[in-house]
Amino acid sequence: MLRVCDLTMRYPNGKVALARFSLTVNAGELVVVLGGNGSGKTTLLRCVTRMLDPTAGEVWLGDTNLVGLSGERLRQARLPLAMIWQQANLVRRRSVLSNVASGTLGRHSGLWTALGGLPAEELRAAHGYLEEVGLGELALQRAGTLSGGQAQRVAIARALAQHPKVLLADEPVASLDPEAADDIMRLLRRLAAEENLAVLCVLHQVELAYEYADRVVGLRGGGIVFDLPCSELPRDAVRRLYLSEAA
Amino acid sequence: MTADAAVPRLIERSWGGALSLALRLVLLLALILIVIQSALVVHARPQDLVTGAYGMADIIRRAMPPDFAEINKIWWPTLETVDIAIFGTVGGVIMATPLAILAAINVTPSRYLYYFARGVIGFARSVPDLVWALLFVTAVGLGPFPGALALAVHSVGMLGRLFAETIEHMEMAPIDALSLTGARRLQVFTHGVIPSVLPALLGITLYRLDENIRSSLVLGFVGAGGIGFELLSAMSLFQYRLVSLYLIVTFVLVIGAERLSALVRARLA
Repeated sequence: MLRVCDLTMRYPNGKVALARFSLTVNAGELVVVLGGNGSGKTTLLRCVTRMLDPTAGEVWLGDTNLVGLSGERLRQARLPLAMIWQQANLVRRRSVLSNVASGTLGRHSGLWTALGGLPAEELRAAHGYLEEVGLGELALQRAGTLSGGQAQRVAIARALAQHPKVLLADEPVASLDPEAADDIMRLLRRLAAEENLAVLCVLHQVELAYEYADRVVGLRGGGIVFDLPCSELPRDAVRRLYLSEAA
Repeated sequence: MTADAAVPRLIERSWGGALSLALRLVLLLALILIVIQSALVVHARPQDLVTGAYGMADIIRRAMPPDFAEINKIWWPTLETVDIAIFGTVGGVIMATPLAILAAINVTPSRYLYYFARGVIGFARSVPDLVWALLFVTAVGLGPFPGALALAVHSVGMLGRLFAETIEHMEMAPIDALSLTGARRLQVFTHGVIPSVLPALLGITLYRLDENIRSSLVLGFVGAGGIGFELLSAMSLFQYRLVSLYLIVTFVLVIGAERLSALVRARLA
């Protein structure tokens, strides 16, 4: 579903953050990217979403190459792509339900949504997504009052409201306690399977990768060091990944 | 660190401390000189205050007791004063909001519009409200309307700048996240930007309303209606007991508006 081909990103200062990086994430699959600081993980996600313009390469979302698109065509093409971030990035003064329903805005172009309204059917559907992440009873609470784990679940519900085919997650458990982190990863695992989502998740927690990922990709210096199913991933290879980064 | 190494560093620090003390003394001296020159420029003569105290006491004596028999005369000018401030504030908000969006560097659609909006806001602020009032009195004649227009235009300067700064300082991550869901530019603005900054904008607006009530009193002095106009008329006719009544009403109005504004802003925070 998501295919990244020979993606290269060279920053204006000459630093190469990604070097001919290629990866495929199929529907129903949860792929975890591991790597030390500065290995290119976040740059990868920012290039896939086109928040950054890659220097070279292609990003295929289904049959559409996102690279080279801009404006309305990019917005349309990116609709099947949802993203969750290290912080939930909710609009804190809006209700939980409104935050989730705002994930549907890309499908609506009427005056009502332009003036800040949300369609009733989308609000009903949003409540369903909140139920799915176990937070239905908090629908009318302000987003700013949620705990980190709850906020991240709401962010996932908002992503689901987009009806995505691909879900990107940039260190989604980095600011959570171990129990909440487990909850979020379990949820992502379940969504990949039940919603047939292609999930690409950047993590720092090796144990979570072993527990929840179908495949693990090791990234160092912007290039792939390994791309293996969890069951075949030697712990030594992971350790070397971080040792090399430290060195 | 060994004692040998520590001693030179201690000496260095004490030199630094002495320099810092000298700098503070120079700053203090500069401050004193600034105050002295300002007193010279304004021809400050404290002795005149003492010799003129009798004249002031005489006016205060003639203003007492306030003429409460005329209380029915003050309701209309009071309402005018409040309404000048309300009209001026609402008019200011209506004009300042689109300008602030253009003048906020993080959401402006174009750099040219950014500089244009900053220019308009700066100009509105730099011309005093009294001057605006005189201009509008010339255009539409005496009465509360020119006062309300003057406050509206002058408010654009302050509201536009503070609105723009509020938008510039808001957290951008939720806005980026909303953009990435596929929301259009206007949707991002109404669903992300406005809910994030609305309480701050309302607080600024209330603060401005409070200021405009005080300003509308002064604008009356140049013919823009309200209590200020009545106050000036009463002073010209030496009706000092009426003047003291107007001053009491003014005091209640200003303090009431200030407290109400502070109360609502505290609720919004």
